[in-house]
Amino acid sequence: MKINRLILPVFLMVQVVSAKPPSLEPKVKRPNIVIILADDMGYSDMGMFGSEIKTPNMDALATAGTRFTNYYTHASCSPSRAMLLSGVDPHHNGLGNMDEWTAPNQIGKDGYEGHLNDKVATIPELLKETGYHTYMVGKWHLGKSPEKIPAARGFERDFSLLDGMGSYWDMTNMTAKVPNSLFTEDGKYLTKLPKNYYATETYTDKLIKFIDEGKSDGKPFFAYVAHQAPHDPYHLPKDWRDRHVGKYDTGWDHQRVERLKKQKQLGIAPESATLAERMWFVPEYSLLAPAAKAVIGRKMELYAGLVENLDFHIGRLVEHLKKIGEYENTIFIVFGDNGAEGNDLGAMIAGNPGTRDFLFFAAKWSNNHPNAWGEPGSYVGYGPGWAQVSMTPFSQYKGWLGEGGIRNALIVSGPVNKRARGGINNGLMSIADIMPTLLEVSGATYPKEHNGHKLPPLIGKSWTQVLAGEAESPRSKQDYLAWELFGNRALIQGEWKLRWEIKPFGKSDWELFNLASDPAELNDLASTQSKKVQELVSLWDKYVRDYKVILPSRSPFEGLFDVLPPRFPVTIGYPPLSSKEQYVPPKNLMTTPKK
Amino acid sequence: MGTNAIPLIHTSMGGNANPMDPSHNVLPGSNFESETTMAGYAKLLPLFNRAAMVSALVPMGRITGDVSLNGLDYKKTTRGYGDPMLQFGMNVIGPKPIMNIPDMLRYKPGFSADIIGTLAIPVGNYDNTSPINIGQNRWYGRIGTPIVWQFGNWVPGERTTLEFLPAVWLFGDNDDFVGKTMETEPMYQLEAHLTRDFMERSWGSLDVTSYTGGKATIDDVEGKALNNLGVGGTLGYQVNENMQLTASYSSTVNDNDSEDLKMDSFRVTLTYGWHSLVEGMRRLKSAE
Repeated sequence: MKINRLILPVFLMVQVVSAKPPSLEPKVKRPNIVIILADDMGYSDMGMFGSEIKTPNMDALATAGTRFTNYYTHASCSPSRAMLLSGVDPHHNGLGNMDEWTAPNQIGKDGYEGHLNDKVATIPELLKETGYHTYMVGKWHLGKSPEKIPAARGFERDFSLLDGMGSYWDMTNMTAKVPNSLFTEDGKYLTKLPKNYYATETYTDKLIKFIDEGKSDGKPFFAYVAHQAPHDPYHLPKDWRDRHVGKYDTGWDHQRVERLKKQKQLGIAPESATLAERMWFVPEYSLLAPAAKAVIGRKMELYAGLVENLDFHIGRLVEHLKKIGEYENTIFIVFGDNGAEGNDLGAMIAGNPGTRDFLFFAAKWSNNHPNAWGEPGSYVGYGPGWAQVSMTPFSQYKGWLGEGGIRNALIVSGPVNKRARGGINNGLMSIADIMPTLLEVSGATYPKEHNGHKLPPLIGKSWTQVLAGEAESPRSKQDYLAWELFGNRALIQGEWKLRWEIKPFGKSDWELFNLASDPAELNDLASTQSKKVQELVSLWDKYVRDYKVILPSRSPFEGLFDVLPPRFPVTIGYPPLSSKEQYVPPKNLMTTPKK
Repeated sequence: MGTNAIPLIHTSMGGNANPMDPSHNVLPGSNFESETTMAGYAKLLPLFNRAAMVSALVPMGRITGDVSLNGLDYKKTTRGYGDPMLQFGMNVIGPKPIMNIPDMLRYKPGFSADIIGTLAIPVGNYDNTSPINIGQNRWYGRIGTPIVWQFGNWVPGERTTLEFLPAVWLFGDNDDFVGKTMETEPMYQLEAHLTRDFMERSWGSLDVTSYTGGKATIDDVEGKALNNLGVGGTLGYQVNENMQLTASYSSTVNDNDSEDLKMDSFRVTLTYGWHSLVEGMRRLKSAE
């Protein structure tokens, strides 16, 4: 009682002193914005998009907001991130190609700098100018030198992995020439990582700290949460590794069927939806030996654990925002940056015995007994078969321009979303839309010039009308989206998709698909719809001209035709030989040999 | 089905008790030296959905002893076969038995506890005129509970375990021990091993064994109960999927008193095992 009597007047005094005059408070506080970017997470990996993986926290955001089924990113990491942050086509913002794969004829050309160039403005730069706190945690992959790091591109607080991938446990990177990952914290390069560092957990801890330390001034915040998870290598804490033991022995064929079934139940996919063809070089799972099923299934077990761990930490962030009273005023935008990863990056980097990088992998990444997967020094990714599960029901995966490479699950929740909670929208959306949407939401404008450069036009369309329930798509039927990466090309207008991909994934020629009736891209209509092909090719040519696209003289996929087996259609049940069983004659006709 | 193993265990022992007598009945002032080998067969198989093992071991070799007993000196070398031993063990807590290749791939001991029972059949060579024998001329056996704790990952090169074997040995009477009757009280054994992989195929352990009880009475003349501690170490090497080699040394440490057990032993074990799953895994690897 004595203490209460002393404290109460002091407490009241503090309140009086610290409270701002009511007239200085904005009438409506602008919303906080949290972009949660999951690296290489597939279209169907969240529970509310058809997954068996347990993602209750992302599902809760979906239930509180809207799921978008027709949302497109780019096919690979840096171009997607550059589009997200700049709202500008990658051929303008410096990521016309991945830095690591810039072709000889692209080197030194505008738009192919290999980092987010200084000719564009970023969301955090513009939001900061309008009074937002700007925070980033996680993977950057848009440049490493001081003028290219998050702090130089608008983030006032950051804890960032500058590289495209690496260990989740330490600073080990992927090649002999780049043995160490680079990290920055608040604009300074780190010489070591915090104690008990684990990527997903540390990023979440850091962001929570940034938010707490910045909230006293009452300004809203923009947080870019670019998780490394679930990019390979699948590094995850012990507790999360064994939650699905044996579950995936049933295989990718079975799992794709199950996910599509759930997608139909959820309304993510229409009843008419069919599965894309299993990639022709991926074996039918039932033909694998039990040991192979167990080992290959283990990879998916770890991936599922990694996604669940990611979801857990997203849940921690959400809980914290609820605890400090900011959740209701926070917009969440959740998606993966490109298709799920079906390429074997380890083999691409260090697949040749006797090479420098092979030796580096042997020294740094060879802790590869299946029981060690998840540990520091282990390197495991799940390969094309499981990547197709992650991209159910689509074809192909990361790096390619099939739907499986560029279409992603999107959740938007929060105060700007006035649509019915838990609903599904099928409007044509792009990752480039996020910049104009957030500018509108925050009250910022897109300037004509920035840092002395005339800014290129934004290519996206604001979602505010869609989120207000006043439109079903931010695009008209004439608006189109276009992609070029590694020499592959695609263009979507309305329900039509034009696609050119290097053999054998594509035909090294234009293909035409009707996405409304054939989202799995099973039926190439180019030969029967030549007029439509012509029409879309002319749009493509315009895109090339407008954005100064330089088709690469070299591509990471240029030798695939020589590596992969000849492509034949995958017909379930063919050849019958593989499913023939022992014939058992009638008992009364069986006998032993005569003497 | 099941795993098959043939162990060959060569032991070189010396001390003041007959090394072939598990009760370690101390004969003060005596000196024994033995070179023995045990050969046998073990089968690991699932039983009631638990891992189980049955084995049979036959000791053989020679013992040289220099013993003074009841005023008589015995100096002798005896050779031949000892008492064959049958052993049964079954897991009661821990992972399910390995039934197929996926089980083998996923095996991790975690925490496991077994029960084991050992029974020696008194048919080994025995000379009732001498205290120096390979056979023991009595039934004996033990009941124990091996316990294994896995620490960290179960990855070759990283495995660490802490293992305990508490057991009680029970002995029948030898009614013709140099013409007398020898009774032995139950003996309590506690083994502890801290094992650690050095590399993928090599490992080592620190071994501690304590013996208490086991007081022998020869025609109403009581001996001293054991209260001894043996300390040693083991090095193991997995030669290939089928063969494991271990070498160990152990010695009693609190043995200053003449009636204390003084004993040390070198032991080399070669175990050859085979299982259709191991063969299958090898075929798969060679097909890669």
